[in-house]
Amino acid sequence: MLFGTADVEALAAHAPVMERLDTEPLVLPDAWVLQVTYEMPATAREVLLPPALHPTDPPLVSWTFLRCASGPFGAFALAQLRVECRSGLRPRGFLIASVIDAVEVGRTLTARWGYGPRLGEVRLARQYDAVTGTVCVDGRTILDVGLRDPDPLGPHDIQYTASMHLAHTPRGVRLVQVDPTFAVQRAERGRPHLSAFDAAAWGDARIVAAHPVSASIAIADVTLPKLRYLCRPDVWAFDGTETL
Amino acid sequence: MEFGLFFELSVPRPFADGVERAVYDNALEQVRLADALGFHAVWAVEHHFLEEYSHCSAPEVFLTACAVQTQRIRVGHGAVVCVPEMNHPVRVAERAAALDIVSGGRLEVGTARSSTWTELGGFNSDPDTTKKTWDEYVRVLPKMWTQERFAWDGVSFSMPERAVLPKPIQKPHPPLWVTVTSPGTELDAAERGIGSLGVAAASFAEQERRTREYHRRIQQCDPVSSVVNDRVATLNFLYCHEDPRQAAATGMRMLGVFSFFNANLLPTREAYPTRAYQSLGALAPTPGAEAGSPGDPRGVPDGIAIGDPARIVKAIKRWESIGVDALNFIVNTVETIPQADVLASLRLFATEVMPHFRNGR
Repeated sequence: MLFGTADVEALAAHAPVMERLDTEPLVLPDAWVLQVTYEMPATAREVLLPPALHPTDPPLVSWTFLRCASGPFGAFALAQLRVECRSGLRPRGFLIASVIDAVEVGRTLTARWGYGPRLGEVRLARQYDAVTGTVCVDGRTILDVGLRDPDPLGPHDIQYTASMHLAHTPRGVRLVQVDPTFAVQRAERGRPHLSAFDAAAWGDARIVAAHPVSASIAIADVTLPKLRYLCRPDVWAFDGTETL
Repeated sequence: MEFGLFFELSVPRPFADGVERAVYDNALEQVRLADALGFHAVWAVEHHFLEEYSHCSAPEVFLTACAVQTQRIRVGHGAVVCVPEMNHPVRVAERAAALDIVSGGRLEVGTARSSTWTELGGFNSDPDTTKKTWDEYVRVLPKMWTQERFAWDGVSFSMPERAVLPKPIQKPHPPLWVTVTSPGTELDAAERGIGSLGVAAASFAEQERRTREYHRRIQQCDPVSSVVNDRVATLNFLYCHEDPRQAAATGMRMLGVFSFFNANLLPTREAYPTRAYQSLGALAPTPGAEAGSPGDPRGVPDGIAIGDPARIVKAIKRWESIGVDALNFIVNTVETIPQADVLASLRLFATEVMPHFRNGR
């Protein structure tokens, strides 16, 4: 039975602050969602996760782009880096870092769901036979990822896992379970590609994308949820889960 | 009702020298006892790369040992993975026939297509095509076993005419099964006239619905062979003890550990969006907890054979009443239960539970 071994204090040093936990759901209509997944070497599978979480075998890293052209926040694009994991019996992704291109939206996403994104340039571009997501921070490209030769899938063929966001909450440092729902209207899968990934710039140089797994693009109504569960990061979920 | 043992051959960390050997030795001792007690079958999975959860990547070797150390118990591939990168169909037919000979005609052949990214990705297999290749395998295996010479021009493989040797003892061939993880696969089994080897826990109501539909559909099947196997088996967990509280404490510890390891597998669908895998393929009973919570490994699911003999008899009577023909038991997980207690549980089950059932073996 493997557990994460990351030092919680070190992780919490960079964690965002959430003053309240009583947020209400919010729908982001017609959002583009690009998700690209790679395998990581096994050497990194435990060290990236807090002890509450368990690594997958093989360990997986995923990049998820969310681009909204309209909706309650107006236009924005968000890129997330997550390490796939388990919390108790459930599949989850541990949020390592995120970047957003709209300051105010970033503040709201942090205050209500603990995303804590940095400001940067986030682009999600669609060509006929490819989709590319790029992230630039301080003028430097830290991610260039995407898919090629997309083929249609059914709306229910894509599974998105809930996220665990480490944050300073009114109850202390906690993993905040953020489980958006995705009402997918259109979905495609393609060959994943990765042209640039600066792991250190994303907060942890130990993250290595070793082997391509999958890439998908979808249009979906994404509902950011009402928060239901917190989890202490230092003990496993069966003992550390708190209901809101 | 028939009773079997079902082995994942799970190995506890740390993987020190001798740990895997001990797991295999304990399993073989359980099989020898089960044979003496009158159990019907021993099944072994084929899994690859699944650390702790299953170190049973060469089940034909383990099952050969089972066969030569026993007299009556049937030996079952539970199941051969019908994916070309893992097993060429000719090799499946050859190994199965040899095992049928070595066992004296006691082989059951389960077929499967693998459900984890860990395995499919490890062999660079295409998840989109595994259902097609499985379908092709179950259609050609009976031909390889029964035709003097065999040639094929197919989807996943082609070959010129050859004699596939040896031939199995059982005529026309050993019973064929398919492992049923995803709902609906039992209908694939029915339509092809092969047995439904359930390896995912289902509620009584769900299993009853599936079993009824299986039996209805198999009446109009287009069999892949000249014989139809119309049996339904399901997976269960066994810990039997006179003291119901001790039975629950020990048995549920095993089930909780199994549920945890099972939930920590990486289903194909989670890593690789595909039409070909519609469910996550959880084998453990649904944890009794609110959806979305981390789960509760301590709740006792209905129908699980954990308890004192009276409770287990009652549970199995219910399975029998809904048309299940066989229960295959996981009796330990990562050596959670001491070997002596596992053996005592099997003995008590044989003495106090088996006689309540018609076949009782």
